[in-house]
Amino acid sequence: MSKSTSNSNERPNAGRRSFIWKAGAAASAVLAASVPAMSMPNAGRNNGLKGEVDRLSAKLESLEDQNEIRELNRAFESFLDNGRYENVVELFSADGEVIFNGGIFKGKDKGVRRLFCEYFSAGETGKKVVPAPGFEHENELLQESVEISMDRGAASGRFPFSIQVGMPIVSDSVLVKMARLQGGGIMKWWEGGVYEMSYVKDDGDSRWKIKSIDFQTVVKADYRPGRSYAKQIDIPLFSKVYPDDPSGPDRLSRSARRSEKA
Amino acid sequence: MNIPMHRFKYTKLTKDEIGKKLKPTYDGPESVSELSDALSGKSLKIVTKEGPVLEYTFKSKNELTLVEDGGSKIKSGYGALTLKQMVFFSHMIPGTQKGYNVFADLDTDLVTVIEVWFSSDTKENAMMGPPIEIDAREVQRQIYYGYIETAGKEAPEKLHHLTNRIEGKGMYWKQDTGVETLEFYASVMSTNFVELTRHVDDLSYCAPTDYVLINDNMFVYDRTECEFSGIMTMYAVDLFTQSQIGMRLGFNEKDKLEYYMFRGKGKVVGHLTALEPFDEHGETLNMGFGPAPASDQPPPKAPKGQRRAYRPARSYENMTAEEINRIAEKNTITFTDNPNTPQAQAGMMSGNTLPYSELLAGKEFTLRYDHGPVYNYKVSDAYNLEWKKEGESKWRKETYRAFEADEKLLFFAHMHTGAKPPVSVKIALDLTNGLTTCIYSKVGSEYYGNEVTYEAFFGVAEMEGLESAKYLRHEFTDELVGRGFTRTYSDNMTSMHLYTTPHSSAWTIYMPDQTLGMQWCAPALYVKLREGVYIFDLVEEACNGAETCIIENDKTMHASGFGFHGGKDGINLGVIGAIARDLGQYKVKEYFGPHARRKGE
Repeated sequence: MSKSTSNSNERPNAGRRSFIWKAGAAASAVLAASVPAMSMPNAGRNNGLKGEVDRLSAKLESLEDQNEIRELNRAFESFLDNGRYENVVELFSADGEVIFNGGIFKGKDKGVRRLFCEYFSAGETGKKVVPAPGFEHENELLQESVEISMDRGAASGRFPFSIQVGMPIVSDSVLVKMARLQGGGIMKWWEGGVYEMSYVKDDGDSRWKIKSIDFQTVVKADYRPGRSYAKQIDIPLFSKVYPDDPSGPDRLSRSARRSEKA
Repeated sequence: MNIPMHRFKYTKLTKDEIGKKLKPTYDGPESVSELSDALSGKSLKIVTKEGPVLEYTFKSKNELTLVEDGGSKIKSGYGALTLKQMVFFSHMIPGTQKGYNVFADLDTDLVTVIEVWFSSDTKENAMMGPPIEIDAREVQRQIYYGYIETAGKEAPEKLHHLTNRIEGKGMYWKQDTGVETLEFYASVMSTNFVELTRHVDDLSYCAPTDYVLINDNMFVYDRTECEFSGIMTMYAVDLFTQSQIGMRLGFNEKDKLEYYMFRGKGKVVGHLTALEPFDEHGETLNMGFGPAPASDQPPPKAPKGQRRAYRPARSYENMTAEEINRIAEKNTITFTDNPNTPQAQAGMMSGNTLPYSELLAGKEFTLRYDHGPVYNYKVSDAYNLEWKKEGESKWRKETYRAFEADEKLLFFAHMHTGAKPPVSVKIALDLTNGLTTCIYSKVGSEYYGNEVTYEAFFGVAEMEGLESAKYLRHEFTDELVGRGFTRTYSDNMTSMHLYTTPHSSAWTIYMPDQTLGMQWCAPALYVKLREGVYIFDLVEEACNGAETCIIENDKTMHASGFGFHGGKDGINLGVIGAIARDLGQYKVKEYFGPHARRKGE
């Protein structure tokens, strides 16, 4: 995917159609809509009215794409928040993949489903929680961004997250087994970071799908609502792949391992 | 009945056998109290939410006709009892193994219908292993909430519902049959109950339960003795008058049909503190069936009859004594943690363990138990000791751990390495008066090779500088009976201990919102060491066979001790620690023991 660093109030060269729109916030759509074509200083002078219409049409389409992707992301976060993991999976393209906790989960109906419907479901992972006290995101991390490819067939995005992550406790203890039967027995913690996402337009219905998500976790902390302190914790990365780990990844992510160690 | 229910081998009655045994039910239930004619000559149309429409005509006080969902007319015997504005009637449907039990509030026209049936032919997911086939004799139930339809009157919006308002309440009941029970409604989905007259031992048992709120002083209750006889008891309660009207249906331990209605008088024996958030009013109930549905999604519909039933006996993997001995040779794990940081031991039963004590380091002493063993000890340091039975010449080395459970009151444990079956001792030793109690445990019982059995010995220590008593001893106690405590073993695991009787205890698991959920119970023993300091020892009998042996200190609200078990993963002696909250106490001691108020009355 080629990229441009243009921001929302920078006017691209209307004569070139090879552009990538990047928006830092949904406000860009408002800005674009509020600037009439005829008010542009060069409109009708360099490329004529048709060129300007083409340029604005392209910009409008791109902004629509951005909005759809933001909607897609909102749906992703909402489904995760509500534990609707089957719905999460349906947002992915057939060849979608997820990088999570040092593991790569490949294929919508295989690895991705295994991650969300088994691993996430068992640990009730993904529920939105406020950042652990003392570990709030830096402003820079809070910035969302969406980039659309020039052919509008692909996109990338970056969104902050602040979620509860959980892992069922493995124990012979009857207490744990009883707790598991009623939905408990889960070790929970907080994770904050950024979703690095890529998207692809579905050939069938021309709707945006998630092609990949890399959960770039910045910090993990032992913290639950009601507790008066939070402390950073280390959670072991995936060390086994599927099927040795029945809900594990298809392969381990070396870069994730390096990043965690760093 | 003198065989504990968790040891009793109930007959696997077949569907045909049950069908034949149910024939008398078609004439309606028996009753010691006179049945009510409140419904005689009346007709009721009951409309339920997500359930049947039941059109009843009551010809007399023991004969009715029913049209179920517009079907053909069914004639059946029935019985009815009234309690204030509540009419409760019960009947089976001739030719079938099902029936209806209807609690109708004639003030509000709201109705709770409990459909019951036998021979469910269903399977249930187990804690481990394949799904469990439910016994045909186990009474199944489905609750429907509805109303009595009245011409010209709109359907009510608010119906009866499950509630947590009863959680924590304890009641004593005496039926018109003479049957007496203690019932601790300590969970939103289960009951601890003690059969004071049906059984000769003072043991409590657990059964899946539903609690339906009628109004602030009335509720409807049912429990099914899953894992045992499968019999069901249901009733409506008026807390103002502490009265009940109810019904019992099923087959007892002699496979004899019980289908009768009853009246009962009771007494609230106390409450345990519920720990749900204060904005919980009991209007909705978290049953812990998984993540809450999204706000825009209706809750998933549970399969008919679904309930949370803990079935440990059936999912327990039984091992032989020989298997245990073989495993013990290969894999006996004694205190796997770093001795300097007990709290850091991986696992959720020891996150709140006390620091280890060095008070025994360098000491030599003898522990002499009345009618029991005599042990000589030489303690090297905080983690290693040597011991031998008195009279033996060879000292045996063991690793041990000790906690100071109260001022100069040590609680230490170690294995008897090489013993067959595997043995551990947990020893309370009071360095102020020389009194000592030894909980001697071995892996293996007459029922299972991997079920721990235990025995308490009382005695004195002989140690330099210690003047021990000649007659005074630690002793069994009932001081903890009726008390409930939270046990927070780690931030990820809290349960409740309820000390139900002098010889048994129940444990209940908190759900994430601190509602009390699944529970089970087992025989236990209690020893008083000092004022407010006790040994509690329990083996999860016919469950996982594991022993929990702790000292409970009322002053610090901290329990510390040891866990001991044997299984396919080996023999394990580990440490346990939990901080506690006092949840209150049921006043029930008068109901237990050889001089109990009920005995001979």
